[in-house]
Amino acid sequence: MNASLPVLSVLFAVLATAVPWGLPPDATFILPLVVVMMVFCWRVLPGANLQPYVAMLLGLLTDVMSGGPLGFWALMALTGAIAGGLTPALGDGHDMKRLWLVWAAVAGIVASLSWLVASLYFLRWIDARPIAFGALASVALFPVVLHGLLWIKRGRLKPGRRIIYGRWT
Amino acid sequence: MRRQSSPFKPRPRRSWRAPGELLNFTLYFLCVVLLVLSRIGNNAVIDLRDRLIDLSAPLLEATAVPAIMGRHALARVRSYVGMMEEIDRLRAENDQLKQWEWRAKLLERNEAHLRSLLNAVDEPALHYVTGSVIADARGPFLRSALINLGRDNGVRVGYAVIDGDGLIGRVVDAGSSVARVLLLSDLNSRIPVLVGPAGMRAIVSGDNAAELKLEFLPDGASLYAGDEVYTSGSEGVLPRGLRIGVVTGADGAFKVRPYAELSSLDVVSVLFFDTPTLTSTDPPAVSAERALSAMPEDKLTPDAVSAPSAAIDPVRNLLEHAGAGDLPAAEGVAQAQP
Repeated sequence: MNASLPVLSVLFAVLATAVPWGLPPDATFILPLVVVMMVFCWRVLPGANLQPYVAMLLGLLTDVMSGGPLGFWALMALTGAIAGGLTPALGDGHDMKRLWLVWAAVAGIVASLSWLVASLYFLRWIDARPIAFGALASVALFPVVLHGLLWIKRGRLKPGRRIIYGRWT
Repeated sequence: MRRQSSPFKPRPRRSWRAPGELLNFTLYFLCVVLLVLSRIGNNAVIDLRDRLIDLSAPLLEATAVPAIMGRHALARVRSYVGMMEEIDRLRAENDQLKQWEWRAKLLERNEAHLRSLLNAVDEPALHYVTGSVIADARGPFLRSALINLGRDNGVRVGYAVIDGDGLIGRVVDAGSSVARVLLLSDLNSRIPVLVGPAGMRAIVSGDNAAELKLEFLPDGASLYAGDEVYTSGSEGVLPRGLRIGVVTGADGAFKVRPYAELSSLDVVSVLFFDTPTLTSTDPPAVSAERALSAMPEDKLTPDAVSAPSAAIDPVRNLLEHAGAGDLPAAEGVAQAQP
């Protein structure tokens, strides 16, 4: 696998967050959270190399693209990267159900942290509904994103896909 | 007894003093420092952001093209699906508009007559430049858009930005080729407005929601759902009379539903409206021959100055004749609504 593949794929997702998709206002939190989720997934996949400082730089790029306060998405991407680093690597005979649960917990933490940071930044309570909606959507999208990343690095993981997906395949 | 094996590969536990952990702490600290600097509006951070946005503009523009084409295709499919209902609706609307046209002509004639009696001075014409949205802001507390117009096109911080339906926001950052527009729905957006036929003063503020908040209404103000909301121009930055939306909701919890569809912006126009407030905060960076406060001679044609009084109309004409995805910057003149 090309060592730059994780960075390039997340970079592509960062660019996609800036594209004017015409999403409703309540759905605006989903795309940046997908970036955090991709960072998390790459950190969990064995053999992939995405260092926390690279994740932070990609988050910083998301901040630049979105015009938001610099450091916000960098903080979230860093949290995703560190959470992915602390999670035992995917592989060796088990499916991704537990990983999905771990992401659900991480998404909850990231959503809470982002709500808290945003409220502190603006010195008022931010509406939590779009954030909660984004976190739930990211949990629902997790298998799709993980499958996509596995597809990206299929060359290396192809022999182990049956093992990773376990009963699902 | 057999111990159950872990589903995941174990990773070695490391001390928080390990180089990697210390680096993580440092990165967290750096993020917090950046957030604080952003909060206090550090100039170096703002400059850095502007440069990075300028650098990434061509890439953003290129990536936005497929999304915009996809949106157009989807809109076309939707219009085909409900075409018959749409035709009926447009016929009914056309009948109404014919009556309005007659009334508007009558009012225009009366107004011209009254203005001549009063020797009233004409409102200055507004120049505008038209471009397209190349990026959306995504975040829990942010509603902004990046447009492919910048200082090279004469855009400055503070200028009002409109689309075919009404005001959408104002420019808050301007690079050489791109500018960031703070949308009406952003938490930081505050626009002084006049409401209803009585012209009651109020402030429209963003709440990150689809509808805007209506604040600081005078005591005992009588509002009705459907009352029109338009800019008052009292802060000296935005022109007076740009339409924003209509009042919705009930007494005590009035909201404003913007005319513009803020979540799916496409073609927008920046109005060149120079005031002393703007000039003191963001001096023009364009060359003297492109100075914005002075009207160029070629724009002073009788046709241009006697354009329809609503500021939106020329832009609407542009919308009808321009492709959205690859729209080049177009310049024109509009008349501020008296």
